[in-house]
Amino acid sequence: MKTVEKIINPVPRAGEQSPGKIYDEKLKVRARREWRGVKDTFYDYTRWLYLLSVLGRFIMVPRNVKGFFRYRWMMSYLFVPHGMDKFTIGLRGEALRIAHTSFNFVIADVTQAIANCFRGDRRVGNDKAYSDKCVITDENSMVTFMMGFDRDKVHTILREVPTMFASNIFHQFNVMHYLDIAQQYGIPGDVCPMPEAEAGISIEDDFCVLGCCAVQNNTTCDGSLMGNGIIAKRLDREYGIPTFQLATPLRHKEPDVMDYAAQEIKNAIAFVEKHTGEKWDWDVYFAAAKRVNDATRCRIAQMEINSTPYPQFFGAAFSLYNDTNYMGNSGRDPNFVKIDHKLLKLAEQGYKAKRMYAREYRHRAIVWGVQPQYVIDMLYWMVQCWGVVPLTDMLSVINTDMIADTDTPENREQAYRDMAMLNMEMIMRNHTHGGYKVLLDDLWDLCEKMNADARAASTSCGSLTTCATRASLPARPSATRSTTTCAPSCARSRSTRRWRTFLTTKHTKEIAI
Amino acid sequence: MKKFLLGILWKLLLVVLGFFAVTFTMYFFNLDMKATAMVAPLLEKWYDRLERKQYI
Repeated sequence: MKTVEKIINPVPRAGEQSPGKIYDEKLKVRARREWRGVKDTFYDYTRWLYLLSVLGRFIMVPRNVKGFFRYRWMMSYLFVPHGMDKFTIGLRGEALRIAHTSFNFVIADVTQAIANCFRGDRRVGNDKAYSDKCVITDENSMVTFMMGFDRDKVHTILREVPTMFASNIFHQFNVMHYLDIAQQYGIPGDVCPMPEAEAGISIEDDFCVLGCCAVQNNTTCDGSLMGNGIIAKRLDREYGIPTFQLATPLRHKEPDVMDYAAQEIKNAIAFVEKHTGEKWDWDVYFAAAKRVNDATRCRIAQMEINSTPYPQFFGAAFSLYNDTNYMGNSGRDPNFVKIDHKLLKLAEQGYKAKRMYAREYRHRAIVWGVQPQYVIDMLYWMVQCWGVVPLTDMLSVINTDMIADTDTPENREQAYRDMAMLNMEMIMRNHTHGGYKVLLDDLWDLCEKMNADARAASTSCGSLTTCATRASLPARPSATRSTTTCAPSCARSRSTRRWRTFLTTKHTKEIAI
Repeated sequence: MKKFLLGILWKLLLVVLGFFAVTFTMYFFNLDMKATAMVAPLLEKWYDRLERKQYI
């Protein structure tokens, strides 16, 4: 078994204490916020004020108030400061600034997404001219097919992100209601809870209704294939929003699927052109492609820093920022570029100063599978309480190749293949589809590259492929230590989840001891 | 004039300090999230009461 050297932090940390001591068990929130020393506490306080200002500006718009009282999932956004506290557990110095810089930007982006949804929503803002230029895309769909459309003329609405994905991050019981609804209508409880919750939202009629057309993707699991049908039926038949099915090949490592995948991207673009009346612009595309390459270089640099004994940008913030940038943005928004560089600068600064974010580092873990990434407290708790550093995760191990970013006749044809490649190498899909090579071999390679000796995975039965990984682990002679966690939204009811959490917490503690 | 300006500065300082004292107390003792945790069950009741067109 591989082992790593234990590193003790030589610098005393202000306000160091067990994270559990400031948790109010009754209210399920913290009794008080963390004391991080004068400088870092003041910095955290100013970011809290900033978040309140973002939320305040949002709720001052009357249609947003109307939307707040119409949609149940909006309640989660009252918990944004609590969500942000989860991303900063135990952090000081550069890591605290990295977490705030990355995730405050994501929060502002999601806030704008909600405002856009409400603006076009037939029940709330009902701005028809705006809605007619909106394209609804799947939450788990890369938006590469929108890279060549001018953002001021065609608006990409990732409707499921604010409704389910982001709201669940801030309030992790949020989707329970929608899971219950889906299961009341006979949907089995053992599929991936994410698309099941989305199906529940559609059944409950709790999605915003807007857009001139929609693009759905055969995303990453059994649940999404089932959920897409339910959502598309409502979109198409009840609301008259034509829906395109972007069928992405699952054997993404095989070169023979590329022609088909590129053709699907062409079809999706033609569909968007037909319904929005706007034309694909190659200048816009190649400008976005440059930004995609820039983001890829920054991500690789961050991973290199994390492979050293002094990782800087890690935990849930790393994954969720990458998700937003790689999948939801795909080079379309130039504002991500300066955030990428700011984050890299902070990480390099922390690395040079050999900054550590716990009393000691005992193990270095790869977070493999999706669910443990979303038990956000868990990752910070791991490093603070056990000294297990979550170096990187399945969702952040995405494309590292550069795509064509100069406008030439050959590159225009190559561009369809690049978009198809990015779509196939989408987060989660690139490791949950494609067989053991992407699920297991890649994991072991990553352990080598990142100098990891532990793996955090999920016991959820929702995701069959990751269960398969877990089952396969003992057979590997060089198997690393395995820590298991449970997804917050994977259970059938609150009581089942509490029971599971209790069991897994007990189980993981035993492993740690 | 000088006295007048000093008076304004003094009042401004008091406002900033007052704002800091109130908001920092809210921040440090997590009063915002405690209040939200208490309001959430009431909001859930509100959402439960809304009519929705449920079907599959």
